[in-house]
Amino acid sequence: MPAKKRTVRIGNWYKSDDENVHFVRKRKAPRPAKLRKIVPGQVLILLAGRFQGKRVVFLKQLKSGLLLVTGPFKINGVPLKRVNSAYVIPTSTKVDVNGVNAGQVDDDYFKRTQAQRRKNEQGFWAKRGELTAEQQAAEKTRLDGKRKTQKSIDDALIAAVKKTPLLKQYLGARFSIGKTTRPHELVF
Amino acid sequence: MGLGKFVEVGRVIKINYGPQEGKLATIVEILNDKRVLIDGPTTGVQRQVIPIRRLTLTKFNLKGATRGARTGVITKAIKKNDPFTQYQNTIAAKKVAKKALRAKLTDFDRFRVMILRKRRSALLSTQLKALRKNNAGGKSAAQAKGGNKKK
Repeated sequence: MPAKKRTVRIGNWYKSDDENVHFVRKRKAPRPAKLRKIVPGQVLILLAGRFQGKRVVFLKQLKSGLLLVTGPFKINGVPLKRVNSAYVIPTSTKVDVNGVNAGQVDDDYFKRTQAQRRKNEQGFWAKRGELTAEQQAAEKTRLDGKRKTQKSIDDALIAAVKKTPLLKQYLGARFSIGKTTRPHELVF
Repeated sequence: MGLGKFVEVGRVIKINYGPQEGKLATIVEILNDKRVLIDGPTTGVQRQVIPIRRLTLTKFNLKGATRGARTGVITKAIKKNDPFTQYQNTIAAKKVAKKALRAKLTDFDRFRVMILRKRRSALLSTQLKALRKNNAGGKSAAQAKGGNKKK
């Protein structure tokens, strides 16, 4: 009588020693962050990055969960930008954004183009400044398009901003904490 | 330290501590050296016993408040002569109101206050400059000249 075979489950995949598996995200699509009562047109204070302390107008939440925000550029130098809502203080000041159409801007607007990734394509030793003529022309049209979108959104915004006295100067100034300010007691 | 304000029937007091902090009321009856009965029908203070320790005395008195007077009597006396509105006009009360207002300022309000203060100070300094110039013919002339030489 053959001995009863004891079935042992053996995996098909054995990890080799030198393979280093980095953190693998189980959830493929990012879950959009729940917006904590931030309304289009609200003035936000950016807390991190190059523009920290700048007061900026919130336009809409993008699909990735990031907030789409603009200076406006002419007022404080902040362009159309994506910002994480965790690094932002919402203030109670609101600008009327009824005339502003930010519908054409989404996460793809901020995607890096081929030309921007040229360094990786051409390899480490290639000169970084070189672009072919077609690439240069493509870059130019891309940037012109971006300037156009920026301008169309900002013009409508600036018209609304000008209606409130001192709002333009307010957006142009940076927020800072002095020696005697108590941030936990401030009302924004 | 002279004879100042007394703990007496009719004395307007301000509550310093507890859920009624900041409210005004009148002393209606003195129970012992530590507790009084207060009432503030127009200021939202229920008739209650409270330790004197939790109060500050103001310089105002409610005329017509008798010992142990009930809330209706107190209300009538207030209608005749209201010490509570008189208290709101004092500097101390105004300071408290200012502090409360400043605490409520939003970020934009604070910015506007800063700009307005700068403008006011600029106006003042031009006025001051003009005054100084006008007074240059007086005793400060020599000082001014001496100061200029130093430069």
